[in-house]
Amino acid sequence: MLQRKWLSVLLSVALMLGLAACNTGGGQQGDTSTAPGQEANATKPKLKVLYPSQPEDYNTYPVAAVLEERTGYKVQYDMLPADNPQDKLNIVIASGEEYDAIAVRGTSADKALFADYAVRGALTDLTPLIDEYGPNIKKALSEVTLDALTIDGKIYGIGNRTMEFVGGGLLIRQDWLDQLGLPLPTTVDEFVYVLEQFQEKDPGGNGGQNIPFSILGTDPFPANISGAFGLTNAWNEVDGELLPRALAPTLEDYVAFMNDLFQRKLLDNDFVINKVANLKEKLTNGQAGVIPTTWAEVTPLVEAIKKNHPEAKLAFIPTLQGADGQMGLSAASGFDRITMIPKSAKHKEDIIKWIDAMLEEETFKLVVLGEEGKHYTYENEAYVPINPIFTDERNRANNFLIGLDEEKYPIYWQARVRKDPVMFEAYEFLNMKQPEEAAQRDALRLAPYLPEFSKNSQSLDTLSNDTMVNLIFGSTSAGSLESFRQRFNAEGGEATVQEVNDWYKTSGN
Amino acid sequence: MLKKRNAKDWLLDGFIYLFMIALAVMTLTPFLNLLAKSVSEEWAVVSGKVTILPIGFQLETLKFVVTSSNFTSSLGISALVTVIGTVMAILLTAVTAYPLSKPQIPGVSFILILFVFTMLFSGGIIPNYLLIRELNLLNHLGSLILPGMISVFNLLVMKSYFEGLPEALEESAKIDGARTFTILFRIILPISSPVIATISLFYAVGYWNDFFSAMLYISDPALKTLQIYLKDIVINADLAALGMSPDDMMNLPGEGVRAAAVIASTVPILCVYPFLQKYFVKGVLIGSVKG
Amino acid sequence: MVRQIRQHWEMYLLLLPGILFMLLFKYTPMYGVLIAFQDFNIFSGIGGSPWVGLKQFEKLFHSPEFLQVLVNTLLISFYKIVLLFPLPILIALLLNEVRILWFKKTVQTIVYLPHFLSWVIITSLFVTILSPSGGMVNELIKMFGGSPIAFFTDNSVFRSLVVFTAGWKESGWNAIIFIAAISGIEQEQYEAAEIDGAGRIQRMLHITLPGILPTIVLMFILRIGNVLEAGTEQILTMYNPIVYATGDVIGTYVYRMGLGKLDYSFSTAVGLFNSVVGFLLVIFGNQMSKKLVKRSIW
Repeated sequence: MLQRKWLSVLLSVALMLGLAACNTGGGQQGDTSTAPGQEANATKPKLKVLYPSQPEDYNTYPVAAVLEERTGYKVQYDMLPADNPQDKLNIVIASGEEYDAIAVRGTSADKALFADYAVRGALTDLTPLIDEYGPNIKKALSEVTLDALTIDGKIYGIGNRTMEFVGGGLLIRQDWLDQLGLPLPTTVDEFVYVLEQFQEKDPGGNGGQNIPFSILGTDPFPANISGAFGLTNAWNEVDGELLPRALAPTLEDYVAFMNDLFQRKLLDNDFVINKVANLKEKLTNGQAGVIPTTWAEVTPLVEAIKKNHPEAKLAFIPTLQGADGQMGLSAASGFDRITMIPKSAKHKEDIIKWIDAMLEEETFKLVVLGEEGKHYTYENEAYVPINPIFTDERNRANNFLIGLDEEKYPIYWQARVRKDPVMFEAYEFLNMKQPEEAAQRDALRLAPYLPEFSKNSQSLDTLSNDTMVNLIFGSTSAGSLESFRQRFNAEGGEATVQEVNDWYKTSGN
Repeated sequence: MLKKRNAKDWLLDGFIYLFMIALAVMTLTPFLNLLAKSVSEEWAVVSGKVTILPIGFQLETLKFVVTSSNFTSSLGISALVTVIGTVMAILLTAVTAYPLSKPQIPGVSFILILFVFTMLFSGGIIPNYLLIRELNLLNHLGSLILPGMISVFNLLVMKSYFEGLPEALEESAKIDGARTFTILFRIILPISSPVIATISLFYAVGYWNDFFSAMLYISDPALKTLQIYLKDIVINADLAALGMSPDDMMNLPGEGVRAAAVIASTVPILCVYPFLQKYFVKGVLIGSVKG
Repeated sequence: MVRQIRQHWEMYLLLLPGILFMLLFKYTPMYGVLIAFQDFNIFSGIGGSPWVGLKQFEKLFHSPEFLQVLVNTLLISFYKIVLLFPLPILIALLLNEVRILWFKKTVQTIVYLPHFLSWVIITSLFVTILSPSGGMVNELIKMFGGSPIAFFTDNSVFRSLVVFTAGWKESGWNAIIFIAAISGIEQEQYEAAEIDGAGRIQRMLHITLPGILPTIVLMFILRIGNVLEAGTEQILTMYNPIVYATGDVIGTYVYRMGLGKLDYSFSTAVGLFNSVVGFLLVIFGNQMSKKLVKRSIW
């Protein structure tokens, strides 16, 4: 008896599932239903967009409602996965899913895919659409932005430009310096001297577990110190030519320098397995004297180290000068987002109208900052957020934006940094208190589509980083640098350098 | 019946209990560590001070995670998929495994090879995506349930169990004139609780932990499963840092939040096993049926 | 033949839904393996992409690292099978000897916990425990006068580390199937043996072990089919450039080579190579066990 009951439950569940499958099959597409009192929107179709992942659901985030009210468009926001979004994006584009707009992050992998899609004819040419329906887009985006996403004279993407600031530097235990009566180092030699003193005098009282300098296993070119060797970015200008770090003439010196630090245990001998969390741990538990990090991550570090060592003080090291006066801190550049409209989009005009409406001055401000007096105040010529409501309702606003008002956004954006005074101080130090020549951008970030570069850059970066880690660790001898370079060139390095410099010479830099 | 235990027995027991305790301690530590992290203060977590006891006990982080709408909605989706999927999968597996446990039926071994073949060969993500799309199952929970409804591993486990059942049981029922369906549902399945419990666990855990299907077939954030939610929270900060805008970097969840998210999304499925354990009782039913 | 089919029609009816599911969800997409013989372009599809024969396989076999990677894969897999396959069986056998019910249930529930944690989390935990500067294990080694071992960056211990952590994570979970199999053994057999005066170890060896032999055989055959999958996900989170020499396996190598390339054809070809080898081993294993223990999958 019991079993029969169980079986019937099963069968009805199966049936329900089957019915549900039939129901949603048709209902998913462009819903043009009109609600009473929304006559103005009656002709506006529901748009469907695909965005990069974020923990919160875009559809229920407060910004979505603001946008719907201001633009009159209902929008269904779908999301790419956080992990390997490119795999899924490829399939979505190739199978012609009916998204009206697809936004991806601006990593080099994303940029390469974007260019690939454009070349293969999978994207809509936006030039005539922007001309007709995008007055605000034209006003907001600079020529450089549009040019970087133009292929064969046609605009295929709308980019959100990265704020061009310095992100990372070397964070040091200021209190250790004070204890030893040392000033902040300003040259590589002084930096090494500080490390030696940290090791010898052991101001943290760590005994055998003292780590003067620790870095990430995934980044053998830590900020600031790499700049002192002319290796600030993945590609740097050497005598008017752009060269990847692998082929830079200063690489030998750099490798020898780092290997020496490693041999003398001035550099963390476990650096190879360091992840971000390990670095933070080593700094905040008082073991490490110097680590690379970014201003955006500094607040929890300060809080944690104060709890463990109330006397601790942290400071960023100023831009270090190398032997021949070289210096550099890597400045972000390129794009945070690239938005494209696939060929298969159903509402090409409407989506441009929507994007344009989003960039309308008042709407844009409302999305980014919220309402004055409710989300922010304007004091001393700066926007200051009101928390917690600003964080609750506007923290993810940047993820909704397609294109930026490039004049206003940097000003609005500072409100985000001012959320937190500790972070703002770090930001200010790295960006406003360094010599002007310190901040260096990677010129390739805004380069147009370069096929060889797109194809090879990721695997070449992996090869370089892996080899550098081995060289610093000393498991391969410095003599093998030559054979590494041969392999680098053979696996696409040479062709890429050629291509990059053909472009660089004509780009007017 | 109870014999007096001799020295050898004591020695054996001593070894067994020590072994088990050592094993349990070793395997429990990571969980205790995560649990402690999720209820400790952030500074202690960041500086790696938390081992298995919390430092600066607080429940705010856990509460924040568990009450967020992202978590509750994806918990609901995962629970729904797991419950419906497991029930349907067991039914399908049982009716398939039963005939396959009868080697005398023509064609059975060929069908078995066909099944085993699919354990090793697969068409890859593109044809699978296109199939789900053709079936109109993109952004539909069916895409998370249907493809996983017959796991060949579980099928073989069940078939192997059926093969071990005494032939006599069925013979006597057949003599009484029972049909195949009756035999399967009234005689075989009721005495198969250990294997049903085992593969229920396997299916439930499989559905719960399935990340791949949701990643591929679901784009609507309202249908996000727990595994997708977890990936969004525990995203590998090292990889992410390379392609992250400063705004995203400022918004990275703290380590405490990540630990809490892992705990909150694992505990529900952990409760399944203790619940199923009571069905792992030695041949009680076989005995009673035969008796 | 026809008579036999008619005689078993109910059985075939029972099989029907399962076979339909298999055909629909497993065999319909199977044409995807053809990608391995193409220079596949996702926009042209399988119909429009050029055929290149065995080029992708040659690319794999001729890559400079292939031999090393293959050796690493086989070694790690071999260690995992030899050392880790018996472990869950041992756990199940010993647990079966535990008389205190609550203790037994508690241990059972605890040992399968690590299965639910992702490798990322487990690796970071082991990095902490095994750290040469202040990790628990190395502090112990130092206490006994040894010198600290850099487990993650020492080519002579890295494989052992991979095998040990894999065993630690999955043994408890893998024991479940054997625990369940033991609970299927008829109680009368034990009672009869006890009357015959058999000791506990004898009963374990002569009743319990043979009782779960079919399950052991089944698990073993399926296990050797995965011999070329030495734990890609695990090793990706654990390895680093220093230990490529011993830790780089087929899966991780292909992952690294494919970064940013979305080379579907190459990864499909490697997958197909793994599948063919695995399938041959399963067939071989099945034949062997048919001969040796009169047990087989089909």
